[in-house]
Amino acid sequence: MSLFISKKKENADGYMTAGNKIGFGVSAASMTATWIWASSMYASATSGYTYGISGPIHYGLWGALMILFIYPFGRRIRAVAPKAHTLAEVMYVRHGRSSQLMLAGSNVLGSVISLTSNFIAGGALIALLSPFSFTQGILAVAAGILLYTLWSGFRASVLTDFAQVVAMLGAVVIIIPVVFFAAGGPGLFETGAVNLTPQQGNFFSSDAFMNQGAPYIAAVLAYAIGNQTIAQRLFAVREDLIKPTFITATVGYGATVIGFGMLGVIALYAGITPLDGDVNNLIPQMAVTYLGPVLLCVFFIMILGSLSSTADSDLAALSSIAMTDFYGHAKRKNNPNPRTMLLVGRVTMILATATALFFASGQMNILELLVFVGALWGALVFPVIASFYWNKVTNMAFTLGTVLALVAFLPVRFEWISMDGAVGYVVDVLGIVGVGVVIGLMCFGFFGLKTARIAGVLAMVVVAPLAWGALHDYAVLSGSLVAYSVSTIICYGLSVRSKREFDFATIKERIGDFDAADPEPLDLVPATRQQD
Amino acid sequence: MSIFWLTVYVLIWPVIVGGTLVVIVRAFWKEWRQARSEGRGMI
Repeated sequence: MSLFISKKKENADGYMTAGNKIGFGVSAASMTATWIWASSMYASATSGYTYGISGPIHYGLWGALMILFIYPFGRRIRAVAPKAHTLAEVMYVRHGRSSQLMLAGSNVLGSVISLTSNFIAGGALIALLSPFSFTQGILAVAAGILLYTLWSGFRASVLTDFAQVVAMLGAVVIIIPVVFFAAGGPGLFETGAVNLTPQQGNFFSSDAFMNQGAPYIAAVLAYAIGNQTIAQRLFAVREDLIKPTFITATVGYGATVIGFGMLGVIALYAGITPLDGDVNNLIPQMAVTYLGPVLLCVFFIMILGSLSSTADSDLAALSSIAMTDFYGHAKRKNNPNPRTMLLVGRVTMILATATALFFASGQMNILELLVFVGALWGALVFPVIASFYWNKVTNMAFTLGTVLALVAFLPVRFEWISMDGAVGYVVDVLGIVGVGVVIGLMCFGFFGLKTARIAGVLAMVVVAPLAWGALHDYAVLSGSLVAYSVSTIICYGLSVRSKREFDFATIKERIGDFDAADPEPLDLVPATRQQD
Repeated sequence: MSIFWLTVYVLIWPVIVGGTLVVIVRAFWKEWRQARSEGRGMI
């Protein structure tokens, strides 16, 4: 497929955003495929296995709704910066270098972690289902993804996403019912009920909400806003198709990931114990136990599709950041050379793959990685969103708000300090404010500032009696909420008295294409014929 | 939750996924044919 669309002379803008005019079918497929990564499948099943019947909902539903909640922000971002390549590039024009570097740096970190995570998932699967070793598996996965993405970049990423989403979604349609009936069908719920604790058997489990759902609600909003892979698709899709694209991706992601989480629920009812005590083995184990050779191949392709689609998006995101925010920025006064930009993008892909391969040997817990990355971006959510709507937000407010939020987040999330006494209550108060910020931001995109303020305050009032004295016991949740609240308080406090009023039209004026207009139409013919 | 509703709960997701897949494939097919008839690339 990559050869099919490749051109001898690729275009730097096409390499990053495919000319900002992708249609609904490709963009919806790409958004869905990118959002579903191997970790989503594994983590949703883990959630089902750990928290019971409500576990997959607390993983997949909130993740899906976050796609929906960010689309109004996406429309605003696109209206303000229609020709942008990265969100960091926009932040440079809006604020300056420190804001750009924070967004670009966090994306470099996030994408390398994501790449690593997907390589680990691929390597583990190959080691489990084939005679090849884990190391051989990660090498094969990394080389394959790099090869098809290297030449055409984002264009190859989105086109292959379509094939990958067809494979993934098609496999889900078949595999879930097959595993369910092979494991015993409806009768399993009767015979296996003894394997569940009361909390696991409760659809409204507070354990599942507090330990899985609530931290994830907070984390994925950050993940969606800060992530360049999502921003890149936002800048690539035709502007009038943003809404249907996001809605379709919401439904596609939610149903796929929750559906896959049902395998964890089935495993729990069936009394299956994860191999070597590692819950990441649960999914492959279920496949080996209940699927025949043909469906096992379908399963294998599905997992490879999920991890490849996200990994190629990460490579495309990393190359765009290197091309725009590092090389493009350094050469901004001398007109960056689009051909050198392409070289920078391709070298970045190779270096990123090598780095992720190096880290893949660490094999960190996938679920913890996801929460960590989401919470890291939590510090950036309010400053980024406010910067697109409020002309008073300053560079100092953006930078200080984000840095101090990170400083506050780390000791809370990783429990470096004792939460006894006053410290615990301070964390509770910040957490309650964080709830108000999250709810307020969600409402703001759809209903505007007035409704957002009312909803935010109401959320704080409702949550306060429950959270006071208790929230600090949930380190993952309170860490994310503290990041939201601290960045919001600092950013708002430093901006509200600012005399500066930014003109948003400046962004459109200063961000444009790197290439001159491309007169050569892209034909749907093989590259060799195009060269002729 | 009764056994019936638990069964529905497990099996409803593949049905929704199937519907989404149909929407995406139909849109892709339509865009591909349109691009082809206009002599331009999809991407």
